[in-house]
Amino acid sequence: MSASATANRDPAADPLVQVRGLTAVLSGKTVFDALDLDIARGSVTAIMGPSGTGKTTLLKHITGQMHGAAGQVLVDGQDVVRLPREGLYRLRKRIGYLFQNSALLTDYDVFENVAFPLRAHARLPEDLIRNVVLTKLQAVGLRGAARLLPSELSGGMARRVALARAIVFDPMLILYDEPFVGLDPIALNQVLKLIRTLNQELGITSVLVAHEFEAVREAADHVHLIAGGKRVASGAPEDLVRADSPWTAQFFGGALEGPVPFQYPAPPLARDFGFVGATA
Amino acid sequence: MNPRRSYAAGTGLFILLGFAALAYLATQTTSLVNFESGPSYDVTAEFTNIGGLKDRAPVKLAGVRVGTVKSIVLDQKSMDAKVTMAIADRYDQIPEDSYAKIMTSGLLGDQFISLSPGGSPTNLKNGSVLDNTQSALQLEDLIGKFLTGSGGGKSSSSNKP
Amino acid sequence: MKQFVARVFDPLLDGLADVGRTGWFFIGLLLALPRGLTYPRELLRQIWFVGAKSLIIIMISGLFVGMVLSLQLYYTLSIFGGTSALGTVIALSLYRELGPVVTALLFAGRAGTAITAEVGLMRATDQLSAMEMMAVDPLAFVASPRFLAGLIAMPLLVAVFNMMGLFGGHLVGVTWLGIDNGTFWSNMTGNVSVWKDVISGEWKALAFGALVSLIAVYQGYSAPPTSEGVANATTRTVVSSSIAILALDFVLTAFLM
Repeated sequence: MSASATANRDPAADPLVQVRGLTAVLSGKTVFDALDLDIARGSVTAIMGPSGTGKTTLLKHITGQMHGAAGQVLVDGQDVVRLPREGLYRLRKRIGYLFQNSALLTDYDVFENVAFPLRAHARLPEDLIRNVVLTKLQAVGLRGAARLLPSELSGGMARRVALARAIVFDPMLILYDEPFVGLDPIALNQVLKLIRTLNQELGITSVLVAHEFEAVREAADHVHLIAGGKRVASGAPEDLVRADSPWTAQFFGGALEGPVPFQYPAPPLARDFGFVGATA
Repeated sequence: MNPRRSYAAGTGLFILLGFAALAYLATQTTSLVNFESGPSYDVTAEFTNIGGLKDRAPVKLAGVRVGTVKSIVLDQKSMDAKVTMAIADRYDQIPEDSYAKIMTSGLLGDQFISLSPGGSPTNLKNGSVLDNTQSALQLEDLIGKFLTGSGGGKSSSSNKP
Repeated sequence: MKQFVARVFDPLLDGLADVGRTGWFFIGLLLALPRGLTYPRELLRQIWFVGAKSLIIIMISGLFVGMVLSLQLYYTLSIFGGTSALGTVIALSLYRELGPVVTALLFAGRAGTAITAEVGLMRATDQLSAMEMMAVDPLAFVASPRFLAGLIAMPLLVAVFNMMGLFGGHLVGVTWLGIDNGTFWSNMTGNVSVWKDVISGEWKALAFGALVSLIAVYQGYSAPPTSEGVANATTRTVVSSSIAILALDFVLTAFLM
């Protein structure tokens, strides 16, 4: 089974993540409406879409932190929704997750943050932990910062430490939640390069939630555009820009009006201003 | 010093201090102090009234603790209180005809047994009985005596002033 | 009228719902407790944070409470001519009542708020989610050690508080007011019992420690991930803990002592 999976590297035939008919309602608002989506093995897939369409929520569904009202989320063939806690935790050990705000444990220094998953899950000799942690820190270029506290790190450094922590168990999948937000061009390029290196050299499947199209174009093989709870477009970044869908036109063209309205749904302006007599 | 080790040491110190405080409170400020742990021998005495004497009250001779009250029971034949005292073995030179008296430390203080040495050449030993006793002083009796005159020959039950 | 009723009853219902949710949280916490014991280093660290770091305030407060107690009780006892009982009354007041209650109130203010703010910020900065993503249960790694630390630290803090209180009481009573040193101690040792007074006070301490750290961890755990949310949760920790301590104290005193 696994031999055939590795032999036939047809990404379409054996996706690592399959989302089928996912429907989710969050405080009365429908976030996903029968969403279908595949993440191919070994790919870098970007999830893009207007703010508030639930891209981060989608990542949380993939990791089983949230459960939808209907539909399936399969990760490596396992239904995340139906997994018991132990199974879910076993699965999560094989998934790295990079939080938008890095979410480093503020009580611990950089070294201990990266060592945290190792200490929590395996009784390893201290030398081995040290070697693994320093190797991962070397990979993100922060071996020298091992004894700094999270409060002493810049945003870009914190994100790289979080990345080192996410890859400490050599995961099969990494989920990046807005990895480029708030980074200066240098730090952004460092993170970008890391994402590509991890994908190319270790073959880690990567899912990227991001808004920066230039960076996505550099990093991703494939883009899913989500809007209104559905997948409205998919394809290689270059193809999407050229596609003549109103969604892609608005999103990548940046037009003010389009399928995504500028105005949040509201009652007529006149009523809010108190001119009731005219219409009521 | 390794920061982790320093707070581990601090935590250990804290726990130690806490238990030391608890041990101090439990053993030095409670009736456990009165608990004679060494070897002892039992002596009994009968009192017509023991007042507020309690188990584990101290037994003193010349103000020095020599033992504790071990048990207090009512002897139904004589209708007296029979008090058993545990006297520490090292005080083995107390005359047999010593005098036992229930006294109060202070006006509202606790009651204890005070021994006054007699002159007998034989000493108290396990199972000895103290014949000379004086009961606890009753505040009410005292007041009654005072009111009916210091002679106090008659303490009438119907108190008519 | 309807509005008035709502204004009175809504906070009551909210409070009741909070009690219920704390109860549910407690059950989850108890289930996670055995797994929490697999992080002894974290437990040690939390005993340091909630226990050792509360020591100074507990010692100073204990000293002053003992000194005041000595002055007040000396005055009261002197009315009845019973100042020789000063040591006993100080010890009994401390062991049975003031030690556990005052220590618990101080503990809620010093350690409870710190726990709530810390856990609330961990929630707000996704540290709890990050743990879940690293397959570490935050109930076992974050909540359990803090709860256990409160349980362990409180009885020890109460013992230290009582000792300091006794010292302060002795200082004022014997050194200042001139009560005989021997009378002070012998009266106390004659009337204070280990089980009925010292140990029963420690049971109270244990119960208060569990109560305060449960409320503190729950409030932090359920705080909305905003600065206002964490601030409110911290306030609620102090308010809820104080009320709960005093109410539980009455129940324990009435039925157990």
